[in-house]
Amino acid sequence: MFKRRLLLILFFCPLWIDAQILYVKLDGSEQGKPLATVLNEMSQENTARFYFLPEWIIPITVSQNYEGQTLAQVLNELLLGTDLNYFAMYPNAIVFIKDPTQAFIHNTAIETAVRQKKKIERYHFGEIGDEKMGQKIVISGKVIDLKTGEPLHRTNIQISGTQEGTTTDETGRYTLTFTPGAHVLSFSFVDYETKVIDLVAYKNGEINLDMEKVPFLLDEVVVQGQVIQEITTSGIGQTQLSMQELKRAPSFLGEVDLIKQVQNLPGVTTVGEAASGFNVRGGSVDQNLILYDGLPVFNSSHLFGFLTAFNPEAIRDVSFYRGGIPAEFGGRVSSVLDIQSKDGDLEKWNGKAGIGLITSNFMINGPLSKEKTSIAASFRSTYSNYLIRAIRTDYIDLRNSSVFFYDGTLKLTHILKNHSKLSFTGYSSKDSFSLAGDTTYKWNNLQGSVRLDHQFSTTLSSEFVMGLSSYDYKVDNQNYLTASSLSYRITSTVLKAAFHYNKGKHKLNYGWQLVYYRFNPGSLKPESPQSNAKPVSMDKQNSIENALYVSDDWSVNERIFVEAGLRLPIFSSYGPATINLYKEGVAREITNVIDTMYVKSGQTIKTYFGLEPRLSLRWMASPTASFKLGCSRMFQYLHLVTNSTAVTPVDIWQPSGYYFKPQRADQISVGYFKDFSQRKYGTSVEVFYKTINNILDFKDGAQLILNPLLETDLLQGKGESYGVETFLSKNTGRLTGSLNYTYSRSFRTIAGPTSSESINSGKQYPANFDQPHILNLAWKINLSRRHFFTGNFTYHTGRPVTIPLSAFVLENTTVAFFSARNQYRIPDYHRLDVALVIEGNHKLKKLFEGTWVISVYNVYARKNPYTVFFKSSGNGIPKPYQLSIIGTIFPSVSYNINF
Amino acid sequence: MKPKQTFMIESIKVRWLITFLMLSACVERIEFDVPEAQLLTVVEGMISDNPGPYTVTVSKGISLDADSSYRVPVENASIKLFDDEGNVEEFSEIRPGLYSTGGSMQGQIGHSYYIRIESSEGLVFESEPERINQVGEIENIRFEFEPRTIVESFGEIRADVFNVFVDAKSGSDAGTYVRWKYTGTYKVITYPELHFTNTPPYRPYKDPFPCSGYVIVPGPSGGTLERRADCTCCTCWVNDFEEAPQLSDVQFITANQFKNIKVGEVPINNATFHEKYLVEVEQMSLSRKAFEFFKIVRAQKEGASSIFQPLSGEIKGNIKSINTNESVVGIFWATSSLKKKLYIYPRDVPYLLTPIDFLTLPCYQFYHNASSTKPINWE
Repeated sequence: MFKRRLLLILFFCPLWIDAQILYVKLDGSEQGKPLATVLNEMSQENTARFYFLPEWIIPITVSQNYEGQTLAQVLNELLLGTDLNYFAMYPNAIVFIKDPTQAFIHNTAIETAVRQKKKIERYHFGEIGDEKMGQKIVISGKVIDLKTGEPLHRTNIQISGTQEGTTTDETGRYTLTFTPGAHVLSFSFVDYETKVIDLVAYKNGEINLDMEKVPFLLDEVVVQGQVIQEITTSGIGQTQLSMQELKRAPSFLGEVDLIKQVQNLPGVTTVGEAASGFNVRGGSVDQNLILYDGLPVFNSSHLFGFLTAFNPEAIRDVSFYRGGIPAEFGGRVSSVLDIQSKDGDLEKWNGKAGIGLITSNFMINGPLSKEKTSIAASFRSTYSNYLIRAIRTDYIDLRNSSVFFYDGTLKLTHILKNHSKLSFTGYSSKDSFSLAGDTTYKWNNLQGSVRLDHQFSTTLSSEFVMGLSSYDYKVDNQNYLTASSLSYRITSTVLKAAFHYNKGKHKLNYGWQLVYYRFNPGSLKPESPQSNAKPVSMDKQNSIENALYVSDDWSVNERIFVEAGLRLPIFSSYGPATINLYKEGVAREITNVIDTMYVKSGQTIKTYFGLEPRLSLRWMASPTASFKLGCSRMFQYLHLVTNSTAVTPVDIWQPSGYYFKPQRADQISVGYFKDFSQRKYGTSVEVFYKTINNILDFKDGAQLILNPLLETDLLQGKGESYGVETFLSKNTGRLTGSLNYTYSRSFRTIAGPTSSESINSGKQYPANFDQPHILNLAWKINLSRRHFFTGNFTYHTGRPVTIPLSAFVLENTTVAFFSARNQYRIPDYHRLDVALVIEGNHKLKKLFEGTWVISVYNVYARKNPYTVFFKSSGNGIPKPYQLSIIGTIFPSVSYNINF
Repeated sequence: MKPKQTFMIESIKVRWLITFLMLSACVERIEFDVPEAQLLTVVEGMISDNPGPYTVTVSKGISLDADSSYRVPVENASIKLFDDEGNVEEFSEIRPGLYSTGGSMQGQIGHSYYIRIESSEGLVFESEPERINQVGEIENIRFEFEPRTIVESFGEIRADVFNVFVDAKSGSDAGTYVRWKYTGTYKVITYPELHFTNTPPYRPYKDPFPCSGYVIVPGPSGGTLERRADCTCCTCWVNDFEEAPQLSDVQFITANQFKNIKVGEVPINNATFHEKYLVEVEQMSLSRKAFEFFKIVRAQKEGASSIFQPLSGEIKGNIKSINTNESVVGIFWATSSLKKKLYIYPRDVPYLLTPIDFLTLPCYQFYHNASSTKPINWE
């Protein structure tokens, strides 16, 4: 069948003869006449002949004035999108034919879908003749989750055989314009079953779809979905994460981890196992904006970063942006991780439970009132005390130690009349760790938000969010002689309004966001009468981040897509505050304070106004290849003040203010994406260049905790990074997987006015996260429909460190002679993990479905250094030691039940 | 006021360290490919407005693999001291690597000094000129009792201290760069003449250390002790040095006035207060460069070893290589200094102390930083 059709096409091509008649110019008098009439007139005037079946071209009218254009040009335009075509048989004979290619494309697409067992639905709008010639038809609609009724944002819609496609907006709506006739639309969304629409449309219509989450994985579908998205989604550097795939990846201690998957993406690295944060394109951990249902999360880790504080069962979808960041996001300069929680099922109750080595979790969701109100709740907690206590160590008595954490989510959704939905999200995570009974570390995240989604009309929709988020930590020392507690808190109040307006080829997003931050930057209190701890209390800090944004997603034509936006952030810090003023022209330090300035409550200390243009562009070179471009400017107003490389619970966030200027990042990235062999293989190359102004680094010997004069210990300078990220994936077959390799560099230059305010004498030095070579390999082999062998290998260059080179004696003590900042590197990091996944039977009717995941982490027991530190031997000479968090092979088993 | 690092914060760091060690239990030595320590030249010296001679030590860096802090001296170097008026004085090597002026030049406030070193291999190093700034004065020195306890495996023990404070004024031209050098001295006694040797097969016998001046005269029950010379190891003076340089950036200052600067701690026990405790505080004016140098040294000493605290950073001294690319580190600094001293007596301790431990070792063997030579300033 396939071959025969191909021959037919080839057969037509060489018959194309250069006919004179096709170059005859029209005079404009044809306007308004049916095409058949025009052709009749022309055949008489030019002694040419036209062959056609009248019913084919009767509906076609010469609608416009084509004066001066040749007949060929006019025919091309009038027949565009119809299944009619023409060719010149003899010098003056034109034959009209029904073009078989469109039918061919249509049939092939349907056949492929059938072969891949995709769900196919048929829609028919109007009949032949209903169409108005020269006008395209518009198909619009909404895509929702079958069970929860939630709109599915960023569902990918592809028109088979063309480069055209679109994605749904925040409310799940989409609009497609195309020529009348038969088309095949393919709707895909990560972790959802792809739906194929066999569409015949001669007039406008509406297709509302509900998509179903894959109960078990039709692997090809999901992975392929991702790849299609890489090519056809608008933005460069944007990725949707598959929660389903995540659950099948090898994991540490059997715990499924969201951030670990982010770390496998091109351009993303991590410091090591105990570092929950991730580094994007050489940026620091605080430069990533993590949003949970729109509210900022400041510490996303459990157990010092071994685990991420989000229960994967409660998450609906996760979008990650490292380039081409849309205008609705701002406030961080490296990346955005946007996490959306799951709505409850509006139809029936269901649940999930998992048992792992150190945690157990459950998730339950269902209707409180059928098709109106739903609830989804999840909870995860640990019983890892036994693990801690079982560890044998010479360092400390662990019998009195304890580790505890939990995270819980609650989501209530209520469908209102008049196209509205009201939802409430609550999220809480708590960690507590105590060591040998006398010091306890605790950190908490607490969030609550209310969101109203409202659809004003088919073209205008909106959402309004009001929320509160708080992050705090506390270090309690219970030794009664030194009893004290150190506490720290950030609360943020968030208000957001977002509007989405759909008009033909334009999709307009605009809105306003306000975050009011209140920082309690630390206080130390003695907790017993005998305690010799000295009380310290730092001034509270208040600031407001306000932003207006607008962006336009514009499908210029079927090949070019532009997303242009502008964000206008205003950041102000407010009193009360006491600000130290320093002598001009000398180093900023305590001895040079000449005066203090008191700023009254509510009075502005400093306001920063920014302008953030964003642009991302996609050009489909062919249905399987695209070029993408992204440019953006972003400001960051909150800085994580740390002189360690990983996030620790005792780090502090410093807002921009009198002394600390906002960081400003300018990035440009260009990429080429190409699929091969009917999307069996996907490849991409991205190149980026980025500069950051006012990046923060600490002075040599800085003290950061409870320091009221932070401005004397921190310096601001310039950052520069660049790199190339390559990606290769195999999306179908028994073996699927991906391989990415990144070469990138990241540097800083801090050249202050005095030598003590410069780092490395003002010369450029590698940033803490400068890791030139990064390689990630992940694979999955389907041993059977229920058995998978998965694995990943990761390699990256060791990160830069500052080390002592030798020692010397000064005034009876030994002093270390250090290298310049970041001039050496710790050994390279590499690790192999494998897992065997055994899923329950895939029968539709069963009581519950269980999945076993048997993982082996760090298969060849590589002792990857997490950090290097120096211990003085008895004679005062510092000796370098490396600390490996996981220095051994780590097997684990977990079991999950769906019911 | 900037809080002095309370030990709460130290404790956080240390705890984190332990936490990580515990979870990993995988700490190993790591080797970096660093330039040889022998290629580093270290220079340390100073000039003050007190009469000379002044000394300069020149040595090689110590490898991190070294077992002791023994430094290889740089011998046969030629060192000259210059001032801003064209005066020059040559140093002579009095011990390997230790060079001294003859005492003809004396530092003067308001003048600048530098040295030039030429090694026997022809390497030339020079210090940047350092100006001697006015020192100001220590207006008051005092001490305060602070009760403390530490927990040992066998229970709590007393670890009370006297905190020593000064009120001071810096010189008007010196800006505010001041260093206070704290030294504590106390006298201890031991009984090396009563020493017994008790090695297998465990028949203890009298074995006085020769430095005690006693010998055994054969006789019943192991012989009798007889004094032949003065004991040179029965009485020692022990020094407590500051752990890190103390600098003037610990608080806000107004009109060059420092108040309540804590400069040291006197541990209270039966040894430190066997007789009395001498506290000496030397106030020294510093240049900006010297201040920065000592600041990094202090950060290094206070930072101790912590996983999260990258140990300070590059030490920038004021010695520069003139004709070589070989690394050099160190400082030749100029200061005006003055000392104040204070005795604290056992009667100042609010309770009675037990008599000093009965020890039969030479005093300098048991006590660190001890010498049997009486310091000149001990009264």
